[in-house]
Amino acid sequence: MTDYRLQTTDHRSLPAGGQIAPLSGEPPTVFVVDDDASFLESIGRLLRASRYQVKTFSSAENFLGQIPAGARGCVLADLHMPGMNGLELQQSLARLGNPLPVVFLTGQGDIRTSVQAMRQGAEDFLTKLAPKAELLNAVQQALAREERERKTRQQQAELRNRFEELTGREMEVLKHVVQGRLNKEIAADLGISERTVKLHRTAITTKLGVPSVAELTKLWIAAGFAEDK
Amino acid sequence: MSWVTVIWSMTAAACLTLALMNFFIWFRQRDAWANLVFSLMAVSIATLAGYELALMRATTTAEFGFVLRWAHVPTWAIILSLVLFVRLYLNAGRWWLLWAICGVRTASLIINFSAGENLNYWHITELQHVSFFEEPVAVAQGVLNQWMLVGQISLVLLLFFVVDATVTVWRRGDRRRALVVGGSVLFFIICATGEATLVLWHFLHWPIIVSVPALGTVLAMSYELSRDAQRAAHLDRDLHESEQRMTLATEAVNLGVWFRDFARNEIWGSQQWRTLLGFSAAERLDFDVFLQRMHPDDRDGFRHTLELAAANGGRYEREYRVLLPDGQLRWIASHGRIEFNEAGKPARVRGVSLDITHRKLADLELHRQREELTHLSRVTMLGELSGSLAHELSQPLGAILRNAEAAELFLQHPSPDLDELRAIVADIRKDDERAGAVIQRMRSMLKRREVELTWFDLNLLVAESISLVRSAGELRKVRVSFISEQALPLVLGDRVQLQQVLLNLLLNAMDAVHDAAPERRQVSARVRLTEMHVEIAVADRGHGIPADKFSRVFEPFFTTKTNGLGLGLPISRSIVEAHGGRLRAENNVEGGAVFSFTVPVRADASDHSNR
Repeated sequence: MTDYRLQTTDHRSLPAGGQIAPLSGEPPTVFVVDDDASFLESIGRLLRASRYQVKTFSSAENFLGQIPAGARGCVLADLHMPGMNGLELQQSLARLGNPLPVVFLTGQGDIRTSVQAMRQGAEDFLTKLAPKAELLNAVQQALAREERERKTRQQQAELRNRFEELTGREMEVLKHVVQGRLNKEIAADLGISERTVKLHRTAITTKLGVPSVAELTKLWIAAGFAEDK
Repeated sequence: MSWVTVIWSMTAAACLTLALMNFFIWFRQRDAWANLVFSLMAVSIATLAGYELALMRATTTAEFGFVLRWAHVPTWAIILSLVLFVRLYLNAGRWWLLWAICGVRTASLIINFSAGENLNYWHITELQHVSFFEEPVAVAQGVLNQWMLVGQISLVLLLFFVVDATVTVWRRGDRRRALVVGGSVLFFIICATGEATLVLWHFLHWPIIVSVPALGTVLAMSYELSRDAQRAAHLDRDLHESEQRMTLATEAVNLGVWFRDFARNEIWGSQQWRTLLGFSAAERLDFDVFLQRMHPDDRDGFRHTLELAAANGGRYEREYRVLLPDGQLRWIASHGRIEFNEAGKPARVRGVSLDITHRKLADLELHRQREELTHLSRVTMLGELSGSLAHELSQPLGAILRNAEAAELFLQHPSPDLDELRAIVADIRKDDERAGAVIQRMRSMLKRREVELTWFDLNLLVAESISLVRSAGELRKVRVSFISEQALPLVLGDRVQLQQVLLNLLLNAMDAVHDAAPERRQVSARVRLTEMHVEIAVADRGHGIPADKFSRVFEPFFTTKTNGLGLGLPISRSIVEAHGGRLRAENNVEGGAVFSFTVPVRADASDHSNR
């Protein structure tokens, strides 16, 4: 598994604990949100000592107001906070289009809330007294997932760029093609002639540089259009 | 045998007997002046009877004159004692008339011895013997003394005096006494004076007779006096009877009667009282012996009560414990009254004591049960708060854990950053104290304890309670807010119990908004200082209290919760009332209910506000 800790050059760097993967650009950050100043400080300290890039926030509102659009990393949030609580923070993040994985921390393991959190896609759910290994592991998993998802999103974005050249009509025809329908059916559905359908198909394969329907379908799915319905 | 001798001797004897009897009565009862005066009168009448007998037996004019002169001495004594008797016994008659009679009669006595042979005759010329009761008796003939008028004036005054006194008594309503005493005296005066006048003016050839009609009066008076003695005897019997009844009553309720004499430093106690306090029947008791029997913890309070009572009119009530010789403890209620001497110092204390051990033990048991219930309700409430408390506790514990783990990582470094490590240790200590405080709060709520009064700041108490329920509020998505008063005087009370009340109200308020719409899920606490009180109000935005349930919210076992016992509010109310405050419920104008309670601010609270 990739280690997302900082590649430290400073003399305080820890004794080697596995190789450190070089990463390009801004390192991923662990955003910690907790209303308890003392706990916030201590967990920040632990994560920094474990060579993570850390930013702490005393409330969910504070965090949402300061987080940059393309922020990388994961969120460690207290489930119970005055004002916006952890679950609401998670929902807000999703709405903002930056679905950073959220690891919830809670004073006590309350089954109902944890089920709800997990159902909403929480990365993990930990009590504040969870062992360090568990905590760091959860952070690590969250960061890995974030990277994975980010990469997927990146690839999809690149692939989708290739579809940009297609006209609206060609995209419509393509949608039918990847569903394995015959030209005759497509023509009937769209109210055009079979010949026009064939012309569109030629244009699509030329523009995307993909000759077979099988490959076209693979590309379609990889670009994530299939998930869009 | 001569009838005259018999009648006059018997008259004298009867009078002397009655005189002696009444003298003895006076002798035993020195304020019975009427009896003494009566006895003087009776002696005088007896003496006069002797003189009258001598007059009737006189053989020469000189003898007659001499005896008659001396007979005026008992007559004078009779008249004086008569008016005095009327005055003393009937408590009527004009004083000036009384003095006038005494003066005039004394004047006539002086005349009797200075002018003529006696008051009646200037000169007695001869003695005649007339037949009286078939017996010859001497009757004088001679020149009358014109100064006799003075004596007659005194008799007229006497008549007026007696008539006036009799009328007064009659009007006063004591008709029988007016008739018997006044009537008999009047009868005597009229008979004696009339007969003497007739004799002196020779209309009647009889000797002068005063003592025999006087006997009638004496008998009538004696009858009245004896009735008084009889009445006294009745009273005595009634008194005895009432004493018996009293004894019976005190025995029935086991009431001890006692009496303490300061001068003699002695306590007299009835048999029940001695039994109550475990004293033997013969033991001599004083205040110190009594105090020795009392429970040592109650002695100072008892002395203080006595001092207070001595300064405030003398009455007091006090409950105290006695330790009986067999080691048994007994509760006594004592009601007493201090009596003061002329100098205003306590002279005596009188009182009754009652065994109240049963009631007292029942009271104590009730008190204990109430404490138990209060404690139970506190523990139950803590159960409701357990989630909140776990949250409270996990914050500092989590911080400690993370700090310790961070420190371990730092220490793995060849040259650890000591500043960072110091900061970590300081934080660990701080969080440990925080966790300790949470546990302490929990312990104080869980502990079974006696009421403990301290001075404290209600603002702090409310803030602390709010922080306790706040995380419970977060769990239940209820917003809890607190509006405090700037500067509060400290209040005196049991901090844990008042916190219990506040927590109870806050938890109830949070329950009340449980089903409410999100914007109404609010609970607010407000502290306000009024003139005499600090008022703490807890308001919610729930449904409020239905009108038909208003009167019932403080009833035990009344609850609207599915898992409530219905004891929280009654217990809270009794706690608040024990602090001298009030707990009440009302509905909020904007919806929801407000429960508020007051804690009185003491007049001397300002002394403590800066501690």
